[in-house]
Amino acid sequence: MASGVSGYAAISTRVRAMYSDLLTPQDMARLSDSPDFPFLISALKNTPYGKYLSGIKDNELTPRRAILQIKNRLAASFSSVVQQAPEQTRPLVKQMYRYFEVGNLKAVLRSIQTVSSWNPDISTWERVHEVLFPFGSFSTIPAQAMVESGSIASAVELLRGTPYETAVSFAMKRFSTEQNLFPLEVSLDLDYWRRLWAEVRQLKGKDREMGGKLVGSLLDLNNLMWVIRYKIYHKLSEEELINYTLPFGYRVRDEDVRSIAAGADIASVVSRIYPGIADVNVYLENPQSGLPKLEHQLKQQVMKQCVSAFIGDPFHIGLPLAYLVLSDFEIQDLIVLIEAKSSSLDDEDFRPLMLKTNIVQ
Amino acid sequence: MLFPKEMAEVELIVPTKDLVAVARVLSGNGVFHQVDSTYLGLENLGPNTWQEKAGNYSALERRIQSVMQSLGLPEEYPVKAEVGSMVDLDAVRPSLDRIEEEVKGVSDQLSSEKKRLELLESQLRQIEPIADVSVNVGVLSKSSFMHSILGVIPAANISRLKTSLLRIPHVFFTLRTDPQKSIVWLLGSKSNFDVLERAAKSAYLNPLSLPEEFDGTPEQITELLQKEIESTKQKISNLEANIAQLAGTHKTELQELLWEIHISRIMADAIVRFGQLRHTYVVVGWVPTAELENLTARLKQASREILIETMATSRSGHHTNVPVALSTNKWLKPIQMLVGTYGHPSYGELDPTLLMAFTFPILYGAMFGDIGQGLMLVLLGLLMHFKVILKAMQGLGLLIAYCGMSATIFGSLYGSFFGFEGHLIEEYIPFLDFIKPIWISPMENILSILSVAIDAGIVILIFGFLIGMFNSIRSKDWAHFLFGHSGVATFLFYICFLAMLGSFLGGTALAPKIAVAINNLPLPFTTLLLAFGFLVMFSGFFRNMVEGHTLIEGKGIGGFLMFVIQSLMDLLETVISMLSNTLSFIRVGAFAVAHGGLSLAIFSLAREEPGLRFWITIIIGNIFIIGFEGLIVGIQTMRLHYYEILGKFFHGGGMRFEPLKLTPSQEEA
Repeated sequence: MASGVSGYAAISTRVRAMYSDLLTPQDMARLSDSPDFPFLISALKNTPYGKYLSGIKDNELTPRRAILQIKNRLAASFSSVVQQAPEQTRPLVKQMYRYFEVGNLKAVLRSIQTVSSWNPDISTWERVHEVLFPFGSFSTIPAQAMVESGSIASAVELLRGTPYETAVSFAMKRFSTEQNLFPLEVSLDLDYWRRLWAEVRQLKGKDREMGGKLVGSLLDLNNLMWVIRYKIYHKLSEEELINYTLPFGYRVRDEDVRSIAAGADIASVVSRIYPGIADVNVYLENPQSGLPKLEHQLKQQVMKQCVSAFIGDPFHIGLPLAYLVLSDFEIQDLIVLIEAKSSSLDDEDFRPLMLKTNIVQ
Repeated sequence: MLFPKEMAEVELIVPTKDLVAVARVLSGNGVFHQVDSTYLGLENLGPNTWQEKAGNYSALERRIQSVMQSLGLPEEYPVKAEVGSMVDLDAVRPSLDRIEEEVKGVSDQLSSEKKRLELLESQLRQIEPIADVSVNVGVLSKSSFMHSILGVIPAANISRLKTSLLRIPHVFFTLRTDPQKSIVWLLGSKSNFDVLERAAKSAYLNPLSLPEEFDGTPEQITELLQKEIESTKQKISNLEANIAQLAGTHKTELQELLWEIHISRIMADAIVRFGQLRHTYVVVGWVPTAELENLTARLKQASREILIETMATSRSGHHTNVPVALSTNKWLKPIQMLVGTYGHPSYGELDPTLLMAFTFPILYGAMFGDIGQGLMLVLLGLLMHFKVILKAMQGLGLLIAYCGMSATIFGSLYGSFFGFEGHLIEEYIPFLDFIKPIWISPMENILSILSVAIDAGIVILIFGFLIGMFNSIRSKDWAHFLFGHSGVATFLFYICFLAMLGSFLGGTALAPKIAVAINNLPLPFTTLLLAFGFLVMFSGFFRNMVEGHTLIEGKGIGGFLMFVIQSLMDLLETVISMLSNTLSFIRVGAFAVAHGGLSLAIFSLAREEPGLRFWITIIIGNIFIIGFEGLIVGIQTMRLHYYEILGKFFHGGGMRFEPLKLTPSQEEA
């Protein structure tokens, strides 16, 4: 079993090379200065995303298509890392990649639920396909067959033998009585993060430490946002909040989640965990606009964690994981930009949503 | 070998009557990379019927696959199948409908019986843990003071459910645990009904649901369930025998149908991407020039009236749309893999595989020069290549062997054998005293070897610049040729920079000889450095000028100041990267020295007496050096290539050549 220097020789070199290809805050600022969507696309063609955009005719490069194309870069990064990661860490990277498959699965289920309101001239699959992450041969879900099955129950039947079978089969009973996708989606999320955490716990030494730090930070972000959103928007009870969250993470402890569930002041809990985040109170006063800002701040905390993984000993899984998370965040930034430029949003409406700033670099 | 295969663009005008025959030739040879040419067609010809046909073929293929799956037949195609015409859908449908109907009746019955069996078994599993409880199950739900939930829960949710109920009194039993799910019994006061229900629901605890006909004690219910299970299993066994019989009857017919529909679907898919005119079709694509003549002859056989226009694609100019087919050579495969990790060459761009096949082993060998250890690497590499050991790493076998050969050659230049050098050879292995440094002993000439390493780096970097410029000339990218990061201005600035480096280090033993030689040329390098520095600083501006773009992006005085600051930063970055790129190669010498140093450390551990302990320490030390240092040197070699060498001239981003393929064997290939 290759580990340490021998296992990470090739991958750490490759990841460092790929890391140097990520856009800098200056690149991002230049892209943000683009006056409109076509200008942004031509600027993007001069970046490492160019090769994913250049094969498409300009008139076919709609904002949605552009987003799909740039996601291909993240897919390529993941498959490259999966192939080169040491054997014992591959299950973790693969499970991390499944995040996008879970996203695809949710999109497929939502499309089945809302299909009746769509334009009948365009086939449902074509519409859905455009928004799915380009998962390629890694995909385990028969997305097209699920969409074409026409009902949630038949679609879920098609998930037999996939990693999602158990999670959805338990939630289906509730779906059939509530006719709401919420239990299915929560079940998929919880199952995904539990499996990811279990993969981290399988590792040893530095891999486990760094994997725990990075996956734990992502988990913190999700756990905290879940409990806050479920409490504020869904008005769920204490026991529901506990059951819809997870008892592990890096900085956020189970006691923190439980105290929020039990009615403690959210702002003081968040401020205690993240003393660097100011104005939590202000964000919570107006959750509609404040919660996305809080989430943005938490994501920047994760980014800092990722950037710090590149300092010091490079022979552990932290380096590839950090690169993948940073790539994902970069694509989230580009999606914000593409949507902002195609909708002609003002600078002040989208710039605060950008993750890559000088602060975290 | 140096460049991707030469490609020719092919444009065909095909009469409608020969459409299928031409599609068959294009799909059947595996040499035609199709380009979507539907945009060339006329818009007012009505809906594209081929689109519908392709959809129908695809649906029919799925139906056949589904029937074969129901019958447990593998999706096999005839071994030496002919590529025939496209199948008439109406002729095929009745046969398929007949088989499908026959199979569907039995398979539907089978799947419904299997579902029932699954349900019964799951009910049995649920009831088993409480089999010895002599209480009527129905009574539990009719209790006046207690609220009870008996059900199945995902095993992972149990601890969370328990946590969520900490604030109310309750009793929780785990009756049975599987890796995935558990059967649990939750009991609490009726007054806490809401909390218990909400907690159970949010933990996905699904209450046990036994059908009404299974009333009574768990023991009675178990007995009834077991009887039902036996009878269902018997039904399933009979139905499976029926399915096996049907599979035997229809196997050949289904496989032939699948093959015919499969090739028809692939041809229809190809035709959908043809441009439709009134009486003809336009087909556009790419073919390797070497295959062109053969393909043209076949096309003319298929259609006498076909018009074939071929355009050889020169390697110059921008060719982002030209698919790239690389030459394959099994000896260069591991090097191609290293290049592939960095990027896929674009058309017209130099494929760096051959270059890297030389530089990679040379740099590796220079850092790891030792005859004995090199030969060990050759042996290890060959054993891996021939799958004797470490089968999973077979792909790296040849690369390790190449690096080992180079290490052996450099070992003889350095006079090193398993770490024994100079007087150590005379002292411990006198019969090998003919091993002497042919060129230089790194340990005794540390500064000289470091200086040579920088010189080697300078040669490689200059070579990289020249290839970069060559690529720009070939692609007629004059802006980058003159002002790109590996263009003329930057190259000349680098030469002046080397002259300055030569002047700065001139008197020291570390001074790279090439830099000193350049500095000795009778040229005003300081003035030239300033002049080329100016060009490099404003290279973005000059590139925009040559390409006819807006010269400065920003507006007004603020924009101009920003442009100047940015240009200054660009210049600073170029100088820093030139310095770091050049000095980066010092590691080649440093590792050659470190290699000797590490061997000395092993000798000091082994002490001086050449007894058993001495030789064991030497053997273990050599294994350590081969494993550990060999790997570190590999990383450094890879780093030098990815960061310092390839970046100078190789862009990658080429489109892969993906020809139309028909038969499964070609698809696999």
